Amino acid sequence: MKKLILLFVLFTSPLWALEEAYTFDDPVKQKMFLDLTEELRCPQCQNQNIADSDAMIAHDLRRKVYELLNEGKSREEIVDFMKSRYGDFVSYQPPVTPLTIWLWLLPVIFVIGAAWFVFTQRKKQVNDFDEDVLAKADSLLEKEND
Amino acid sequence: MKKASLFLIPITLFVLLSVFLYKGLYGDPRQLDSTVLNKPAPNFALPDLMQPDVIYDPSIFAGQVTLMNVWGVWCVTCAVELPYLTELSQQGVRIIGLYYDQDTDPDFGIKSIPTIQKEVAAKLAQLGNPYEFNVFDVKRDYSLDLGVTGAPETFLIDKQGVIRMHHIGDINTRVWRTKIAPLYNELIAQ
Repeated sequence: MKKLILLFVLFTSPLWALEEAYTFDDPVKQKMFLDLTEELRCPQCQNQNIADSDAMIAHDLRRKVYELLNEGKSREEIVDFMKSRYGDFVSYQPPVTPLTIWLWLLPVIFVIGAAWFVFTQRKKQVNDFDEDVLAKADSLLEKEND
Repeated sequence: MKKASLFLIPITLFVLLSVFLYKGLYGDPRQLDSTVLNKPAPNFALPDLMQPDVIYDPSIFAGQVTLMNVWGVWCVTCAVELPYLTELSQQGVRIIGLYYDQDTDPDFGIKSIPTIQKEVAAKLAQLGNPYEFNVFDVKRDYSLDLGVTGAPETFLIDKQGVIRMHHIGDINTRVWRTKIAPLYNELIAQ
């Protein structure tokens, strides 16, 4: 029974399928390695990070991350190293540039625009209200009640 | 006036969105902006594949327009383009190979250099040999410096050793005529 539970735990924990055992003496570096390989995107099989991908380039990038971490490089230095070779594409964290700022601005603009539209439309409806039509409706209702 | 703008704004938004999505439909997501473009080829010191005593560096690009083709015998598309590349080299195009083998990788198992040389020689004898020589990217560090994502990929390098084009995928008649040849001829004329 214990073995069964153990098996269950083994197969359900969300571990990336890392074949190579990249181990660090420093747990901080180990954590940084896992974070980086999740954040860096595989240039070959797009839409996978390099931790998840089995493409050769992903193997190479993982090994490079490992080497650079062991050389004492910081997180930013490693991301910059990859970006200088594979472009901004290689990171799942897009930089804020005049082109990408719209990713953040557009939803905000849309919400504000939609709110403004709804607000002005409602106001117009109230203003356009025709007193004659109301009087007519009232008289009709009264007739029906009689 | 108000009516017109109410009608025009959604139409404009719709057209813009359509253009954006239409472009996305036919864009090739693998065509990334290369970061090495219009920069001198990164530095390296790598052995010749067939004679490991010979060590190359970027001076191999000096004075000649070069196509550097990234390939390996394990790569199926590379085998497809080899005959066409051979044709090009017979027309006088200088092609050098940047060879990399997944089997020298600790992740995939170690293969001895004589085995690789034998495989390469057999492949080139069978399909044609377009290469003046092959630079052996032993640990694939140079490919990484060049932003190579896989094979085949080809770099067009000018007489000053500056990378002028990074082509991902195979080279065939269409790619050569429409994409590479115009720039190649311009560089040759310089």
